[in-house]
Amino acid sequence: MLMNDNAIIHVENLHKWFGKLHVLKGVSFSVSPKEVMVLIGRSGSGKSTLLRCLNFLEEPTAGTISVAGDSITTAPGVKLDPKKILAIRLKMGMVFQEFNLFPHMTALGNVIEGLVTVKKMSQDEAIAMGEKYLSKVGLFEKRDVFPIRLSGGQKQRIAIARSLAMEPQVMLFDEPTSALDPELIGEVLDVMKQLAYEGTTMMIVTHEMSFANDVADRIIYVDHGEIVEQGEPEKIFNHPSDDRTRVFLRTFLHTDQSD
Amino acid sequence: MSVETQFPSDEPDIDPSMGEALQAHKNKVRLIHTAKIASVWIALVLILSIGLLQLRFDPGYVGEHYGFVMQGVLTTLGLSVASIAIATILALLGALGRLSHNSIAQGLAGFYVSLVRGTPLLIQIYIIYLGLPQIGTQLQSLGFAHLGKTLTLTAIQSGILALSLNYGAYMTEIFRAGIQSISHGQREAAISLGLTEWQTMRRVILPQAIRIIIPDIGNQFIAMQKDSALVSVMGVWEITYRANRFGRKDSKFMEMFILAAALYWILTIVSSWIEERLEKRLAHAYER
Repeated sequence: MLMNDNAIIHVENLHKWFGKLHVLKGVSFSVSPKEVMVLIGRSGSGKSTLLRCLNFLEEPTAGTISVAGDSITTAPGVKLDPKKILAIRLKMGMVFQEFNLFPHMTALGNVIEGLVTVKKMSQDEAIAMGEKYLSKVGLFEKRDVFPIRLSGGQKQRIAIARSLAMEPQVMLFDEPTSALDPELIGEVLDVMKQLAYEGTTMMIVTHEMSFANDVADRIIYVDHGEIVEQGEPEKIFNHPSDDRTRVFLRTFLHTDQSD
Repeated sequence: MSVETQFPSDEPDIDPSMGEALQAHKNKVRLIHTAKIASVWIALVLILSIGLLQLRFDPGYVGEHYGFVMQGVLTTLGLSVASIAIATILALLGALGRLSHNSIAQGLAGFYVSLVRGTPLLIQIYIIYLGLPQIGTQLQSLGFAHLGKTLTLTAIQSGILALSLNYGAYMTEIFRAGIQSISHGQREAAISLGLTEWQTMRRVILPQAIRIIIPDIGNQFIAMQKDSALVSVMGVWEITYRANRFGRKDSKFMEMFILAAALYWILTIVSSWIEERLEKRLAHAYER
């Protein structure tokens, strides 16, 4: 396993049980600053759960998670400190498959919600910041629009702006394009490519293989709650060393094309 | 009554004014339908009135005491408005308690809902108005003068307290369902931005839940206007008490209670109308 001292995320021996189901079986990995890491695998392999454990949307059953200087170690029966969880959450932005925009707030309202409520910024400061990030995803002109009037692709770009505005050190993407109509996927991927190009540290769960090939510094293939194989996209896609990866890629790329 | 169903054009090709013509036709059909329903209502009221008049119903008596009973409308409305406001606060607390992970809060809220929903409103009114002063007197003799006096409530205070407690319990379930109907993703998005559980509830969940709940609160308010008649047993001068006072004295029960019923009916019709308009406006919220 690759471990380095300047890692921004460091996960060690992470376990997650859902009742009797062992979903993550002692996963360990590190992410370096500016690295783009893409997690691939079948649905139900545990890749989304892995991502959701990192910011404690799912409480890990056991293991250690360190993010930029904050570290939480847990085990069955351990009561976690909400303040420590909050500290870790603030270092990570999360983008969801279903966008989860707040429908009762405008686009700008969504983007500044965390700034005002969590960071206690003044309204003016927050609005300036919010506008900056709306422009970044190319949606400044939608600032006063409610989510119901936005397309799926626009919603997801606003959701990305909402996370970016909190200026996290890492961005997590949980299948950000899976709920989108095919013609809307491109605009979201373009925003993510731009972020990758600017050196944003990202962890992405996706089924968009060609996108993964383009932006990933490292691909991790997850199966049955374990990291089966990891490496540069060129290696994983063209010369996978594990049979399971090979079978997954063959069936996946095949169904991908026939879709 | 026959309805015109002919369109302006029988031509099969598409006429640009076709949409407007269709809409006009639809409006006409709807208007006729509404008119028919209204005539059924009017016919029913007429038949009932004629029947009553044949059976020595005295409209002159109603006319004489109309003003007196009418004065109770404000009391009824005031009672209902105050009680629905307090009930809403109780219901919010109750729902937060029921949904809390804290066992004490859950226990308190569950006990409240079960106790209040499991007993008749009339008994609750009696306990608050007649039962509490008895305990109050006992406390006074034990040296808790102030507390003892506080427990002796006026009829109006008792009425508001009883209605609030009662409706608060039923509305707790409404609030709980409303809060639970907000998708889990909303909470996840909020807490991953760093909002605390309470901030998430206050800023994200409740504003959406309350919008869903408002029509139900409206319905509860309408129901409460009628249930408030029960406070007449304590001699609060609202519609029912006023009607009963003269009805009993002159043995004109039918006259006075039909008058009271009509006043409640009008109140609820007006309230329903306001509620419907509010609901329509809420349905178009967040659309800009």
